Amino acid sequence: MIEILISLISGIISGTGMGGGTVLIFGLVFILGVNQHTAQATNLIFFIPTSIMAIIVNIKNKNVDLKTALIISTSGIIGALVGANFAIKTDVVILKKYFGFFLAIIAIHEIYRIFLMYIKQKNTNNKSILKKIFLNQGPSLMEIDENDEKNDKILKEEGVRK
Amino acid sequence: MIIKLLIGFFAGIISGFFSTGGGLILVPAYMYILKMNSKKARGTAIFCILPLVITSSIFYYKNNYINWKLATLCAIGGTIGGFIGAKILKKLPERILNITFAIFLIYVSYKMINS
Repeated sequence: MIEILISLISGIISGTGMGGGTVLIFGLVFILGVNQHTAQATNLIFFIPTSIMAIIVNIKNKNVDLKTALIISTSGIIGALVGANFAIKTDVVILKKYFGFFLAIIAIHEIYRIFLMYIKQKNTNNKSILKKIFLNQGPSLMEIDENDEKNDKILKEEGVRK
Repeated sequence: MIIKLLIGFFAGIISGFFSTGGGLILVPAYMYILKMNSKKARGTAIFCILPLVITSSIFYYKNNYINWKLATLCAIGGTIGGFIGAKILKKLPERILNITFAIFLIYVSYKMINS
């Protein structure tokens, strides 16, 4: 039962576009006491059905650049062969530590993104920045990524109106 | 072309080694290096990761690291969760989620390094 609960939460987080895999691996290793290699293997199997659903939707919505995807996948498969081979040969304790460092890098990237969002909103309105963050108003991270220029324009217009 | 091949190779190594994180490399690479928009970057990334995941799965399978009972339970929960996540995506306070996720990552990396 706990397995389903952990994966349900990871699935929800994957659906919102953040790293569901990290949550799943964390839950399996620290809550269920699964070994790091098995947790990583479980994450791989977990990814397959979840991603197939997402891929179908993305192809329908024409959100896949097939030509680029083909090139990236080809060299990616070679990379995956190398990476998986290393992972299997790596000791569990060391693999865990590498994983920790990897997550720290992602955390720094995530904080950088939050910082960018903060700057964007500071430009719009100085006083209500906290209110905006917690009431979920203003442009979201994904939208900022999506079209920076468009957002700049909207923000400027808002500024003019105020 | 060479840049694309390098991006793919690097994402493959990360994805194969940690079994996660291919998307965390590919999405920013698509957006900042190949200048794709966010939606296309995400769509193309998930499309590229599937063959990488299948490739590394074979390795983990050959070395008997797959616990099928656990994997099946997780796949069921994950699929349902993914569906719920996609549905409620717009209703969730994204900023709080992002901040929580960053704090969570710092905590997990600390625990992993110290365990």
